[in-house]
This record gives sequence, C-alpha cells and structure tokens, in this order.
Amino acid sequence: MTLKILVVDDEARIRKQLTIGLTGFGYTVSAAENGMEALVKIAQEQPDVVILDISLGSEPDGVEVCRRLREWSNTSVIMLSVHDEEKTKVQALTVGADDYLTKPFGMAELNARIIAVRRRVVPESGAEQKAEIRVGDLYINLAQRVVEVEGEAVHLTPKEYDLLRLLATHPGKVMTHHAILKAVWGSEYGAMDHYVRVFVNLIRKKLRENPARNVRYIINEPGVGYRFIDSD
Amino acid sequence: MSRGGEFQAALYPLLLIVGVTLGAVLLRGTLTLANFTLIYILVVLVLAIQRGTRLALAAAISNFLTINFFLINPYYTFIVADPRELLDLIIFLVVAVLGGQLAARAREQASTAQKRAYEQEVLYRLTRAFNQLTAGDKVYDALTEVVKIDLGASVAVILPPGSASTEATETTYALPLRFDDQIYGTLRAVFGAPPDPAKLRLLQACAAQAAMALHRIELDQRARKGQQFEEADRLKTAILRSVSHDLRTPITIIKTSANNLQRLGAVLSAAERAELSVSIEQEADQLDQLVGNLLDMSRLQAGAITLNLEPNSLEEVAGDVAARVFQRTKQERIRLDFPEDFPLIAFDYVLLLQALTNLVDNALRYEPDNQQIHLRGVVQPSEVQVRVTNHGDRIRPEDQAHIMEPFYHGGRGKTGLGLAIAKGIVEAHQGRLWVEQDGGTTFVLALPRGQQEEAHDT
Repeated sequence: MTLKILVVDDEARIRKQLTIGLTGFGYTVSAAENGMEALVKIAQEQPDVVILDISLGSEPDGVEVCRRLREWSNTSVIMLSVHDEEKTKVQALTVGADDYLTKPFGMAELNARIIAVRRRVVPESGAEQKAEIRVGDLYINLAQRVVEVEGEAVHLTPKEYDLLRLLATHPGKVMTHHAILKAVWGSEYGAMDHYVRVFVNLIRKKLRENPARNVRYIINEPGVGYRFIDSD
Repeated sequence: MSRGGEFQAALYPLLLIVGVTLGAVLLRGTLTLANFTLIYILVVLVLAIQRGTRLALAAAISNFLTINFFLINPYYTFIVADPRELLDLIIFLVVAVLGGQLAARAREQASTAQKRAYEQEVLYRLTRAFNQLTAGDKVYDALTEVVKIDLGASVAVILPPGSASTEATETTYALPLRFDDQIYGTLRAVFGAPPDPAKLRLLQACAAQAAMALHRIELDQRARKGQQFEEADRLKTAILRSVSHDLRTPITIIKTSANNLQRLGAVLSAAERAELSVSIEQEADQLDQLVGNLLDMSRLQAGAITLNLEPNSLEEVAGDVAARVFQRTKQERIRLDFPEDFPLIAFDYVLLLQALTNLVDNALRYEPDNQQIHLRGVVQPSEVQVRVTNHGDRIRPEDQAHIMEPFYHGGRGKTGLGLAIAKGIVEAHQGRLWVEQDGGTTFVLALPRGQQEEAHDT
C-alpha cells in the first residue's frame, strides 16, 4: 500500500510542485491550503505523513495545527520553515512535530526525511528495538552498555551514556535541547539547557569526531537541538 | 573694598614718611639738606611705583612741607632763613612731583601690559580648549569654568536661546553667544563686585570665542551627517548594482535552462537534460544565498536582528563549518585546533555559524590548493577568539581598510557582503573582528566572555 501524504501550504505553486514531486516518488498526495482544511483532511483521509508549512498566513498557523492534531492523531508531521524561525521550529517540535525542513530544499531531501520519520514509526508497532547500533567506526551495545570507537572501548560517565543512548536510539530524529535535558536529567533541571551542550561536546571528543573530515555522529541543528546521524 | 582697607592703604605711606622723618630729625646734626632731599625723593619714587600718580603727588607735597618744617632752619616753622635752602626746597618739589609722576606712569603701563598678557593667555587657553571640543555642551562647560575661575564670577550659567533675558545690573551680566545671526544661548555671569572694564572686555571676548566654537561644531556635525547620508547613498547604489547584476545572472540562467528544457526536451539527450536541470538547481541555490545575504545585511544595518543568546561553544560552530566544507568539497580543507576546556559563552548559534561560515568561505577563496585553512580557538581572560588563517597572498594595503565594507569588490569575493555580514554579526554580540597579517592572513573573531557556568556530572 502506498503512503498517503498531505501537503499543507498557503502558496498554490508550492502545493503544486510538492504534489508533482511526491507523486513522482510513488506517494498518494493530497493538499490543503489552510489550517482548518488541513485538520479536516487529516481526520478524513488519515494521511501517514503531513508536510506542514509553519507560516500559513492565516489562523490557525502551522504550529497550532500541529498542536491540535496531536490531541487525536499520531501521524508523522514534517514542518516546513524558512531561516530565522528557530524559535518557531522549537515550538513545533515541542508540540509534537517529528521533523522540520528549511526552505528552499530539494525534493530528494524531503523524500529522505519522509522515509526517516516513517522508519521511526514502524519499530514501535513491530519488532524489538535493536540491541546494537553501528555507525561508521562507532559501536554501541545497548544491552551491555558498551561503547566502542574503532574497536576500542570508550569510557562514558552514566549521564554521557544516557545522552548518547537517547540520541542514538532515535537516529535522524531532531531532538530539542530541552527535550534532551528533560529525558536525561529530569524536568527539575528546567533552564539548564547548556548542560546538554557541554555534555555533547565531551561525548564528541570521546567518540573522536573529526568534523574536518565530516566524521560526526551527533549533528548540530543550529538553534534547535541535536540529531543522531541516520546511517541508512 | 572695605573702609578698613582704605584706612590701611593710607596708613602705610603715612608711616613711611613719619618713620623717615623721625630718623632725619635724629640725624639733623650729621647729614646735610642735600642728603635729606635725596632720601625724600626716594620715598616719593617708592610710593609712586607702589601706589600710582595721586599718592605720588600727595607724597611730594607732604615731603616738601615736612622738610621745610622739621629740617630747615628755623626748625618747626615754615620759614626758610637761607635763600639757598629755599632754592633746594623748590627744586626738590619740582623733581619730586615730576619724578613721582613719571615713575607712577611707568608702573601703570607695566601693570596694564601684564593684565593684557593675562587676558591674552586666558583667551588663548579658552580658544585652544574650544577647538578640541566636538560637542556643544562641552563648550558651555569650558566657558562657565573660565568665567568662574579666571574671571572670578560667583555664578556663571548658560541659558538656552530664547529664554527670558535677565536684568543686567552692575554685577550681573547677560551676554548672548552670537555668531553671525545665530544665537547659541546666553551667558549669565554674576560678580561679587562690579568688574573693571578690562574684565568686562575679557568676558565679552570669551563669549564671542564660545559662540565661534559652537558655530564650528554645528558645521562639523552638519558635515558629518552629510557624510552619513552619502554613505547610505553609496550603499544603496551598490545594492542596486549588485541586485541588477548578481541577481539577474542566476535568474537568466534559470529562465533559459527551463525554456530550453521545455522546447527541446524531446530532442535533447538525457545527459543534456540532466545538465540543464542541474544548472537550474545550482543557480537557484545561488539566488537563495544572495537573497539571504541581502536580507541579513539590511537587517543588520537596520539594527533589526534579535539575538537568541544561549550558552554555546564556538568550537561546535567551528566543527559545523568544517563539516559543511568537507561535505561540499570532499576534501579536508580545514585544520581545527581548539584547546581542552574551551569555554561556553553566550551567543546566537545560528548567527555565529553564519559569521564563521562567511569568514571560512572567504579564506577558502585565497587558500592555495595544497594547504589547509587553520581554525584555531584561543581563550583569553576577557574574550574568546576564533582565528581563521589562510596562506594565500596578503591583502593589498589599499584593500585592507575596506574589505569589511559591504559590496567591496576588492578581491575575488562575489557579492562583497560576506565579511560585512560577519562583522555586523560579531559587533551585534559586542565582539570584534579584525585582520592580522603575519605568516598568512588571519581574521580574528573575538567575543567577550561573560559569566560562565559549569555543568556537573550528576
């Protein structure tokens, strides 16, 4: 069965291009031009993925649509944004968006994101979570809490390991600083987002990342958070 | 002056004459009349020099009478027995009067000259001080200070132009600070005693100098404002030129490529079609970058950037930049060099990423192919630096002052916006960006260190 995708954008030309492009990738595509229409179509058609523009030019805007649909739907949501909307991106992720893409983007990139968010949905309903993660020279054994780089054991403190495991078990998923903080340290650490940055930097060094050769496991999402590299 | 002062002023000549007379009476038998007349002439000259013409005249006459009364036979009368002594006495009177007047006049001239010199000095100091000032209120400060300290006014204030004029009295003066037809305020000065004409002259001269200085400052400011307009105008022209060239080129390519695909799609080979669509995409990216730069630049210049300040690591920014360069070039073009424990400081990650990307892109344009750009982190007590070094040709001296100006096409830069944007971003963070030339060309990006917090592994 082909995936059903709903494109929500107030700009007719963008709806048209995305419809053409996504149909070309083999998806069943429908479109909505405002938030209300989008909510109605999501309820009726139950799309697998919603491509949702952040600024729809009318109420409800993209973030609000995402908040409302999350009350009754767990469809995958990819937000579309432009630069300088980092705060809005964080909001969207906080209210339940799965990912975002900054305009302008290529169709191949959008397709990759669609595949990634869908893959993250499948394991929950299906098989057991993987016990091992292997990306480049990095090897993580979740069952034994073992981390190796180039075959050598890496010593991580408990918090460093928790952080790495959180990111590594959600490959390709962008996680906000705040969400990471809450998951690893607990909600009482409220405003200490910089802990996350300090620890990510420590982990990067221990994992022997080499950005000059693009050897990275944890990708920075400027102004938003981090994303573990998606190996597939 | 008080009455006591007047009394004292009269007392001293009197005492001098009485004292000299007392001595003369005691030596009456030893000294001759010639000796006495010379001594009394000396007394007159001394008083003339010290006290002026009127007192010199009074001293001459009183000495004449004193000699007659105490020192000429018969004593204690005004009768002169010897006619030769009468001649001496008359000559004494003439010499004492003339000499006294001459001496007093000379002394007055000397003191006038001295006063003039003082006035000149005060004016000179004032003028020099005024010339170094660039702000009007500083001129007002300097003027009131001089009027109070050098002219001894008890009150000196500047009233704004158009304020109600105060009554002028013997001790209160209100002088308009006027140059040409412009009035820059009114100097109100209050003196303890009515000032002498010389002081008044000086007061007027000071006011005139102040007005001139205010006029000059006004002209300077107007000229500067004109320069700013000119600058803004130059920028606008440059934007228009850049927009018409740099924007139109990619648009033209996109349009012709799309048009070719549309008309010739059927006859073109697959490779040719791919080439056309690739160039459409590349040119669109080019346009996106350019529009982004233009937007950033105008936002920076309008001061419309809001900083999303959070504790971040410049090392992470540098890593991001390096990774993107590798993704783009598939080469290790950057050598990263950051110390352990490089501190977190508060900055806007997205903006600093943009700034450092621009610096690195600029450096890459000049870096020889077989060498690497050096990205080095330096921690200093008050700031954190990222130093971007390339090993290409030095910046020409004539370019150095301008390379960070928007639209400066000195080298191989494309739009001439990258460095200007980097500088704008860094300065929005109260940081600094500058160039050093030693082994290569180094752009130094420095951000101030605020308070930093340590994270605990709990």
